[in-house]
Amino acid sequence: MKSLLLGAACVALVFVFGCGSQPGDSSGGGLSIVVIPKGTTHEFWKSIHAGAKKAEQELSAAGQPVKIIWKGPLKEDDRDEQIKVVENFIAREVDGMVLAPLDDKALIRPVETAANADIPVVIIDSGLQSEKYASFVATDNYLGGRMGGAHLGKLLGGNGNVLLLRYAVGSASTTKRENGFLDELKENFPGIKVLSSDQYAGATRDLAYTASQNLLSRYGNEVNGVFCPNESVSVSMTKALRDIGKAGGEVKVIGFDTSVQSLRDLESGDVQGLVVQNPVKMGYLGVMTLVDHLDGKPVAKRIDTGVVLVTRENMTEPDMQALLNPPLEKYLGTGN
Amino acid sequence: MKLAQLGSRDFLKAVRPFVGLFVVLLLFAVDAELRSLFFKGGNFKTILTQTVIVAIGAMGMTLVIVSGGIDLSAGSLVALCSVVTAKLIEHGHGFAAVLALTVLVGGLAGLANGGIITAFRMMPFIVTLGMMGIARGLSKWLANNQTVNPDEPLESVNRLMDNSQSPLTFFPLPDGVWLALGLAVLMTVVLRSTVFGRYVFAIGSNEDTARLCGIRVNANKIAIYALAGAFFGLAGVMQFSRLTQGDPSVAIGLELQIIAAVVIGGASLSGGAGSIPGSVIGAFMMACLANGSGIKDWPNYMQEIIIGVVIIVAVGMDKVEPMLQRFFRRGK
Repeated sequence: MKSLLLGAACVALVFVFGCGSQPGDSSGGGLSIVVIPKGTTHEFWKSIHAGAKKAEQELSAAGQPVKIIWKGPLKEDDRDEQIKVVENFIAREVDGMVLAPLDDKALIRPVETAANADIPVVIIDSGLQSEKYASFVATDNYLGGRMGGAHLGKLLGGNGNVLLLRYAVGSASTTKRENGFLDELKENFPGIKVLSSDQYAGATRDLAYTASQNLLSRYGNEVNGVFCPNESVSVSMTKALRDIGKAGGEVKVIGFDTSVQSLRDLESGDVQGLVVQNPVKMGYLGVMTLVDHLDGKPVAKRIDTGVVLVTRENMTEPDMQALLNPPLEKYLGTGN
Repeated sequence: MKLAQLGSRDFLKAVRPFVGLFVVLLLFAVDAELRSLFFKGGNFKTILTQTVIVAIGAMGMTLVIVSGGIDLSAGSLVALCSVVTAKLIEHGHGFAAVLALTVLVGGLAGLANGGIITAFRMMPFIVTLGMMGIARGLSKWLANNQTVNPDEPLESVNRLMDNSQSPLTFFPLPDGVWLALGLAVLMTVVLRSTVFGRYVFAIGSNEDTARLCGIRVNANKIAIYALAGAFFGLAGVMQFSRLTQGDPSVAIGLELQIIAAVVIGGASLSGGAGSIPGSVIGAFMMACLANGSGIKDWPNYMQEIIIGVVIIVAVGMDKVEPMLQRFFRRGK
């Protein structure tokens, strides 16, 4: 009786969920490639997804069928969850993996596991302290940090007080930006004083907002410029500056990455510059490099996807527009 | 009050978690795409490895829940103990010392839980909710707000959860899986056949009656929470081994997964019912669901909804069955 009921309930479940997923769409002979981001809700990752889809479409059109599986950790920014995703797809024996590691050490073993299972891994976005990957396709984050530092230094005329609110511990990409920023100031702008550079914002906008408020309540009266190493910190810091009436150019803000909100802030003049990566290109080249590697072609161990500095003045140029408003719908559909 | 009969409800109830697992596996077998992807030795090794932390936590949690309590500090204690493990390795301790001291730290935190609950007659929910914050804070403080990466890794600890050498075959299983299986057998015996185990059921069934029967309820409760803490400590060692680093922000919400595993395994949150094999199967079933819906390329929100529905369905059977039985009886 009991087991019957449980069984009936579960069978019902299968019909509810199973039917929605069109059985039989499993790839017919093509390569199956899983792309594993750090999270799925940030707009940055959606652009990566769009780039991967673009590669899928182009490869399929060129007679090389590829199935892209997009799978982020169930809980964002949870190392253990990302390891689970990597392990699950190793066990599933996909043909290859494109991974943006959440941590440059914790993901070493899963990537080596993939290597032992003969599944090549292309690392994107953020580094890994291992050599067992096929290629590393990412922005030169250190250079991006230096660009941000140079622009802020110029805006401040070479002297003043600046704040650096770091992103999160163990995130290699943002740490490089932070180091690039600090090195640029130290070498080329000796008149600028860094008030604080040891605070971490944390993974979400909410945490970053609180951290920004705390930092500004201490240094709000003396600060002239702020560097924010990623999108969530940029948006939250700008919001916190608006709260205390110091936005709009009184405190110069240089951010990193884009989102709807940070572009709005740039347009309204609350943010003076955004260092912008090319996530669509990163997703695209990540998949392309992996497919080349699977085809036995030699691939470079390090591929740079470039950064540019976007300001209010140059943001309307067509090149910048393509970067700032990538055609996500074209690749992802409207559902995403 | 017959101690021997406590908790040993009818046979059907005992096998229900197994039936649930069987049904889940059956569902995966029905799906043509999943059948070929899911039923592979390497995949089962992966799932077993992913189950270890929740399963070890669930053994401790089963004791607490059967005794009529709850422990919300489990996830935070796992994080704290993963940091403690990292710190101990940094100080150059060997395998046995790392394991023993970490388990001890977990046990002491559990002792504090049990001590406060009994001494001040406070609700376990509140006390362990407080401990959840305290342990999370302590782990961040101890780790200086970042992950702790020992310069000289201790291979024996790292190997506990390592399946990197042969990812595509079922054997050899990582040491941690064997350890968890061994502990499951041991704890099953402890809970079913020892005086302490029977007391746990007695306290959970009716605390006042247990006291009147001469059971030292407070001392046993403290022992239960301390033992549970020790299990969370061991789970912390496993968590360290998985990440090969101590991470103060790991295992957020793990306590809810552990509680779900225990409840799917047939335990009642009002105490007096539950079993170790059931809880372990519950943990395994949830890992199967996560793995299956993960590799089947469902979006994450779908996966969260499915697991949520399964928890309610699995536990809801408890309430629906008597209702239906009454209904059918009336119909005759």
